[in-house]
Amino acid sequence: MTTSVQDQNNRFSAMMKAAQAGDGHAYSRLLSEITPRIRRIIQRKRAFQNVQDIEDLVQDVLLSLHSVRATYDPQRPFFPWLLAIVRNRLADGARRYARGSRNEILVDELPVTFADESANIEKILYRDPDQLKQAIEQLPRGQREAIKMLKLKEMTLKEASSQTGTSISSLKVSVHRGIAALRRSLGSKE
Amino acid sequence: MDTNSLIQKLASNSKPTRPLSNPWARTAIWLAISVPYVLFVVLIISPREDILEKLGNSRFLIEQFAALATGITAAVAAFASTIPGYNRKYLLLPALPLSAWLGTLGVGCLLDFSHYGVHGTPFHADWFCIPGIVIVGAIPGFAIALMLKRGAPLTPTLSTAFAGLAAAGIGDFGLRLFHPEDTGLVVLIWQFGTVFILSLLAGWVGRYVLSWRLRITAEKRQLAAQ
Repeated sequence: MTTSVQDQNNRFSAMMKAAQAGDGHAYSRLLSEITPRIRRIIQRKRAFQNVQDIEDLVQDVLLSLHSVRATYDPQRPFFPWLLAIVRNRLADGARRYARGSRNEILVDELPVTFADESANIEKILYRDPDQLKQAIEQLPRGQREAIKMLKLKEMTLKEASSQTGTSISSLKVSVHRGIAALRRSLGSKE
Repeated sequence: MDTNSLIQKLASNSKPTRPLSNPWARTAIWLAISVPYVLFVVLIISPREDILEKLGNSRFLIEQFAALATGITAAVAAFASTIPGYNRKYLLLPALPLSAWLGTLGVGCLLDFSHYGVHGTPFHADWFCIPGIVIVGAIPGFAIALMLKRGAPLTPTLSTAFAGLAAAGIGDFGLRLFHPEDTGLVVLIWQFGTVFILSLLAGWVGRYVLSWRLRITAEKRQLAAQ
């Protein structure tokens, strides 16, 4: 161990001893000084993880260190004690990360919107956009406009109401009837 | 919470903490709790009638010494395994007395085989060994589990397996002071087997008893209560 590392070790050891005696200032200084080192070690070992995950690990190490601060023997060097905790928590973190990744399934598009099949009937039936377009054009004018504005352009009821001059309740009725008519016409053609 | 706020919270939550003694000193404390209890159980159940004769039997003494040494060194290894940065060579400490114990039991079996012949060697089921070792090892096991909880859960399975070996080792040591069963094969399978299985079971519960998650959750709860 070089002299500067040894000095630092002795300084941290003294701060930890003071922290064990209940000196909050010494503990705060110690944690503030070792945190960048812990962060560097984690960044080096977990280069593939994002900044937030690395910061979570840093905090995890700090909490772990705090929970076992009684295991530090002031007669022994500080760094091996600290590094043992960091290594152990990193190994634990790696196991958690691997478990989490194993349970994640990456898909481009979810095959259904809901687990309940009946909730996906429309998506299954209306596969032909041209057919749907034609069916919408054949609806009465009020229903057609309501469907276009509220379902295709995704306008709010308030916006559609002010644009058409129709009341919100009439729009709701038109949409409801329009969808029922579309379901009937598209369903009958299947 | 950002890291600086966490540091401030931890520092303001820092109460005086007594550092843990070294593993040897902790083992001495554990023995100070365990040995009187083991002797108490032996006296309550009453020592075997041939105890004085057995104390002059070198094979019995070696086996008992090996069982006790296994228990003590397993306790040292268990405590050392919960100290971050402690020399990992301490984990090998029980290997020697454990091998010696197994070796003496093996030699005992061979002596019985040569005396009675392979087919004539006495063997019977000795179910009493299981509750016997559990009863004698209960308080030592409970004490070491409580003491381990103050350490760091670096290797929970290994720590509690060593703790199980320590408690069961000392349990077997006590058992043989009141249970008059010395047949080599019975001692090897029923007594050493029980010690082995109890150590495995203790190792299996390790991650439930000693875990970072429990420690960190407790710390977070304390911080939240601030």
